[in-house]
Amino acid sequence: MTERPDLPSLAWALLRIGAVAFGGLGATLTLLNRDLVERRGWLRSSDVSEALAYTKPLPGSTVVQVVTFLGWRLGGWPGAIVATVMFLLPAFAIMTVAAAVMLALPDALMVRSGITGLQVAVVGILAAAMWRLARSEAGSVPLMMVLIAAFAIGLFVNAALIVGVAGAIGVAFDRVKRYA
Amino acid sequence: MLELIARFLVIGTLAFGGGQAALPLVERLAVANTGWLTPAQFATGVGLSYATPGPVLILAAFIGYHVAAVPGALAATAAVFAVPVIFAGLAAQLVNKLKDAQWFQSFGRFAAAAAVGLLGVTLIALARPVVDIHPILLVGAAAVFAAVLRGFHPLFLIAGATLIGAISPVFV
Repeated sequence: MTERPDLPSLAWALLRIGAVAFGGLGATLTLLNRDLVERRGWLRSSDVSEALAYTKPLPGSTVVQVVTFLGWRLGGWPGAIVATVMFLLPAFAIMTVAAAVMLALPDALMVRSGITGLQVAVVGILAAAMWRLARSEAGSVPLMMVLIAAFAIGLFVNAALIVGVAGAIGVAFDRVKRYA
Repeated sequence: MLELIARFLVIGTLAFGGGQAALPLVERLAVANTGWLTPAQFATGVGLSYATPGPVLILAAFIGYHVAAVPGALAATAAVFAVPVIFAGLAAQLVNKLKDAQWFQSFGRFAAAAAVGLLGVTLIALARPVVDIHPILLVGAAAVFAAVLRGFHPLFLIAGATLIGAISPVFV
């Protein structure tokens, strides 16, 4: 296969990617491909697509898990940990500073109305996220029914419970379908 | 602090469908159940998590900071990513065995669909304070929705909306 990076090189590469990984999963996959596969030649394209295929069904942030998976390929558990921590570092630093700034802002009219503007944008962004996710994650009638039921029940019942129960129903459903 | 860690560990473990699909769990935890953040603070955190590089769930750092400053931010971030990262490492290690685990795929697919449905609940929770200020603001939200689907970057939309909001008192 290709040459293996040492941990400091891996750390530096992922720190740089983490600092510019705007735009969610799709954009970040492109970045990882361009840097780790094309530019440095540490991995093959198939490593990136395998990372996506195996982490997508797992719970958790898929972007981060793809990075962990690739880090593991490049250096076992130490590689996985180093890659993940370095990838998260820029985002963590920005969010922590942002939280401190938000708490320090004065309770002025302009600040309040600015935050209102931001809230408006977040409602739109989240609606778009839901729209896109519904198209990618609920591609069949049973899954669409689960989505709608989760929304309706979710207005009254604990969200974590709903996710767990839906998963269990999925296991039962697919098993019944296979033996029917 | 222990409660913070425990709750974010649970969120990470149940985040089927990726980070965005876990936002309902985070909203229940940080706003509805504990009152750690006000709805406006939570919306700000969500906006920032979309505007910054990296995963949306880095929102954990924002919330952790509100609960217990920098140690809280560190603890919440470590907790929310710990279980998924271990899973991802194990997946890399056990690639061949996972190919056969049918039940595992089934669980993930249905849990993810439910998580997306729950986003509707979060959406209502975030839209309600906006509507309380003035229902007309939903027109702005609809414009942002359309812009995102047309490929505009959230960073610019959030910055633009915040700016418009900030200067709006001058005109009203």
